[in-house]
Amino acid sequence: MKRIIALVATTALVGVASAQTKIVIDGSTTVGPIAKAFAEYTMAAHPEVNISVSESGSGNGAKGLLNGTCDIADMSRSMKDTEFKACADKGIQPVAHVVALDGLPILVHPSNPVKDLTVEQVRKIYLGEITNWKEVGGPDQKIVTISRDTSSGTYETFEEKVMEKGKIREDCEYVGSNGAIRSRVQTTPAAIGYAGLGFVDKTVKALKVNGISPSAETVQSGQYPIARPLFMYTNGYPALGSPLYQFVTIHLSEDGQEMVEDIGFVPVTAY
Amino acid sequence: MRLETRKLLDKAFSGLGLIAIAVMATALVLILSPIIWRGSKAFVFKGTIEHRRVMLEQFNRGNPDRFNQEWVQVAKAREPVYRMLADFEAEMREMPSSERREYRSAFKELQEAVEILLGPAPGEDIPVLIRKRYGQTRWDRTQIKLHEVLYSEEWDYSNPDAMGILVEKPRLEQFMGTKLEPFFAYVEEHIDEIMRPKTTFYWQFITDTSKDSHIFGGIWPEVLGTIYLTLGAMIFAIPMGVIAAIYLCEYAKEGRIVSFLRICISTLAGVPSIVFGLFGLAFFLNTMHVSDSRSVLAGSMTLSLLILPTIIRSSEEAILAVPRSYKEAAFGLGAGRWRTVLTVILPAALPGILTGIVISMGRAAGETAPIIFTAAVSVGAPLKIWETLNQPTPALPWNIYNLCTEHEAVDEIRHVQYGMVLTLVALVLLLNLFAILMRARISKKLRG
Repeated sequence: MKRIIALVATTALVGVASAQTKIVIDGSTTVGPIAKAFAEYTMAAHPEVNISVSESGSGNGAKGLLNGTCDIADMSRSMKDTEFKACADKGIQPVAHVVALDGLPILVHPSNPVKDLTVEQVRKIYLGEITNWKEVGGPDQKIVTISRDTSSGTYETFEEKVMEKGKIREDCEYVGSNGAIRSRVQTTPAAIGYAGLGFVDKTVKALKVNGISPSAETVQSGQYPIARPLFMYTNGYPALGSPLYQFVTIHLSEDGQEMVEDIGFVPVTAY
Repeated sequence: MRLETRKLLDKAFSGLGLIAIAVMATALVLILSPIIWRGSKAFVFKGTIEHRRVMLEQFNRGNPDRFNQEWVQVAKAREPVYRMLADFEAEMREMPSSERREYRSAFKELQEAVEILLGPAPGEDIPVLIRKRYGQTRWDRTQIKLHEVLYSEEWDYSNPDAMGILVEKPRLEQFMGTKLEPFFAYVEEHIDEIMRPKTTFYWQFITDTSKDSHIFGGIWPEVLGTIYLTLGAMIFAIPMGVIAAIYLCEYAKEGRIVSFLRICISTLAGVPSIVFGLFGLAFFLNTMHVSDSRSVLAGSMTLSLLILPTIIRSSEEAILAVPRSYKEAAFGLGAGRWRTVLTVILPAALPGILTGIVISMGRAAGETAPIIFTAAVSVGAPLKIWETLNQPTPALPWNIYNLCTEHEAVDEIRHVQYGMVLTLVALVLLLNLFAILMRARISKKLRG
């Protein structure tokens, strides 16, 4: 009998131990590519750690951390006061790790001759005050505005840095991810949208904003007006040496910097 | 009604029926043929030397000696490419700075295009990201990337009243008269030796894990996740469903409560699947805390609720279809109700029950909405069986959606997406085929 109890106890212990080596990540679709690359990197070095990444938006990431359903909440905005308060009430202490910087590029179809917009113009386009590309130096085409859904951190950054509490026009098209923004813009010549830097490729054109194009230098120096840090939130600072600790410090290593750069974002370190 | 009118009506109806069937068949062909055609390209395609390199270095597959022999030849074919690039770089350094500026950005663009085509140049550091370590693994993608090496894309915005037009300029023109001039002809002519395309059967696409979020490798975590979720849903739904059906048919007294229950079950069958998904999140995860994160367990439970009505209804029908005489004979021999159900009715109804189960298995395998919030993630390792209790998993239906909407490099890996679609469709078709065969066998048996 004793032996059986011991056996059960060890199995349970092993179970607990193996439970600790899982890291569940949820949240921003902008931070998603970084989290996926870091997950691959960690799992290659530590096969016993099982990391899963899902991308359901910053707001959902915060909810996941609050409900305890994820270990890391990827967020492309900082937590709101209400979220902090809800966490504090539940005894959860959100700790922010800034893993990269992102300039929010304003995207148009590459066939669009417009090269440069001011923040003011972008705001007016999304307010519905400018409805034709002709008004900003383009051809006579109705502007199709595309925005992220309201649970997205990218949306909230845009709202804060560009819209300044203005209300986005009612016929704006809302889509659920950065990739969806890109695919809508690349198939719609008269479209305008915004996404994370890591999602810009040859099929879309990133505009200069206030005469400055989004790049590592202009984002780091703060010249590019629509820039933001990208966060990973954990509940308290992870126990030193734990797999979670290793994960949220990858971006500080040289390898982490290279991955962030290669995905297209701006690293916070400069080796 | 006159006879001719009746005949005419009859013919008109059979004609309509034929048209309906023809439309349905065309639709089926139109839907299935691209799925099969494009999906098969994930399994059978022209793979380049880079594909074999990925297989060898990432999956330990293939004969290293043979690969090395081939690689030596490829390196020989690639050597002039890198030599010409290096020569031009040296030439550029000698140029006066005004001229150098002219070439600098064009050369950088070209270097990047070459790196995308062939992978990092020999002697360079090995990149951390696996996607950066290799060139194009597929011949179809190679040709697209080769085109990007040979031509630069520019947009002509000269007409102010219209959108710009894409103009492709040969890069040769940009580098006319420099040491890079022969480069373009060389790459174009020797691309076969540089990439060595070979027809490749990559059936391990199903059983390989993905490398660098689906950019290389296969879809095993997704396939395994789908299997776990489906089987898990069955474990919960079959006992509940069959027992409920037996109770409704054999034990419950027909009355208001039972007919109300039946209405409830039918309504449950009509509830949109996303509602089940949200319910699963709110009930199983946030209220019951069946696991501390999304998990296969929570997803299976949610899916089982979704298919429960189907299983109950089909089991009920199968039980009601058992001839009354069987039951009466059993009672006549002195068997109790419990024994009659267990030894006479259930075995006779089993074929029908099984058919319902297999059909709902197909449904569970293909559902996306119920697992979005309860079980599915975009990247994860294949799970061991005990890990399903508290860990989430990738699953085919969700990852198909995820790849086409959220993946940062989706245009590069369409074949993976199509391969997943084909695998899922094949899985569901196989399950349904199994159900049809079983039904046929059973009805034959019943007829004697």
